[in-house]
Amino acid sequence: MRKLIVAIGVWIVAITAAHSMLNVNWQVLMNDRLPEADRKLNVAYIPVT
Amino acid sequence: MFQGFPEIKEALMSNKMQAAFMVAPMAIALRAQGVPVKIVYLGHRYGSAVVVRKDGPVHSVSDLRGRIMAIPSRFSDERLIVFRALAANGMNAKKDLRMVEMAPPDVAGALAAKAIDAFSMGEPYPSQAEIGGFGRVLFHAREYWPDYISCVLVVRQDVIDRRPEAVQVLVDGIARSGMWLDEKDRAKRHRLHAADFVGRFYYHQDPKLLRWALTNPIDRVKYEPLSPRRSDFETIVNLMVQTGVLDHAIPFEEFVDTRFAEGAHAMTAWKYEAGDDRAK
Repeated sequence: MRKLIVAIGVWIVAITAAHSMLNVNWQVLMNDRLPEADRKLNVAYIPVT
Repeated sequence: MFQGFPEIKEALMSNKMQAAFMVAPMAIALRAQGVPVKIVYLGHRYGSAVVVRKDGPVHSVSDLRGRIMAIPSRFSDERLIVFRALAANGMNAKKDLRMVEMAPPDVAGALAAKAIDAFSMGEPYPSQAEIGGFGRVLFHAREYWPDYISCVLVVRQDVIDRRPEAVQVLVDGIARSGMWLDEKDRAKRHRLHAADFVGRFYYHQDPKLLRWALTNPIDRVKYEPLSPRRSDFETIVNLMVQTGVLDHAIPFEEFVDTRFAEGAHAMTAWKYEAGDDRAK
């Protein structure tokens, strides 16, 4: 039982770490927390001229 | 990066994005609907084309009668250029053609699969169809519309009011990049380098595609002059009214703020060559 709980815990930590590295844009999140005057503007574009 | 203009519109309205490159008629329509945004600069000039199947039956504008053509949006210059080209050939795009809205990245595949007969779109999608060997440019926008504009830089009014210096930095950077891309004698070298890093790090496209779009020929897309001119936008507004996507003409000052373009007049091209650590 204990082995199972440890395995599930390791799995959750690994998936969370992978998700936060691959899917979360930390630059954008950090930028949104800065005071307005220091924030970079978010500029939207599509891959077309 | 977004895949379509409607999503950009929503992101701008919800303040997820503070600025956006979008097709000029969409920006004008947003302003006409009371959305507090302004056009402050252009993204480029030219760079749009109508493409047909290479082995298909369309060899002239008049052959487009009864065909299906994809456009990026009802509110796009790519739609207006079709009206203009067909009118110049004695046709009416509303009656003689079926236009369907399609996300830009999907049009080349749709043409290859014969789901559409033609598309009117900005680069690099005409280039994609040419390189793929299934598409042929029927005409470039410049043939029917001198100084043609497609994408413009739109900024939220609250950002313009509260952070004009940040908007100026953005416009100055675009102005300098445009001059760098069009720099005499070095334009080709700079464009090849831009195709490489934009393709890999921004557009996530094969740099070969952007190399074709930016250099074949060298003025296929132009990055000067990028200041918003009254006459260009009056042409767009009049065409929007004529083609039924705008109720009434709205004055230039209501949807364009020229102060940032004026502020960028003294800018010079970036000093940057491939291999440099940073641009100066």
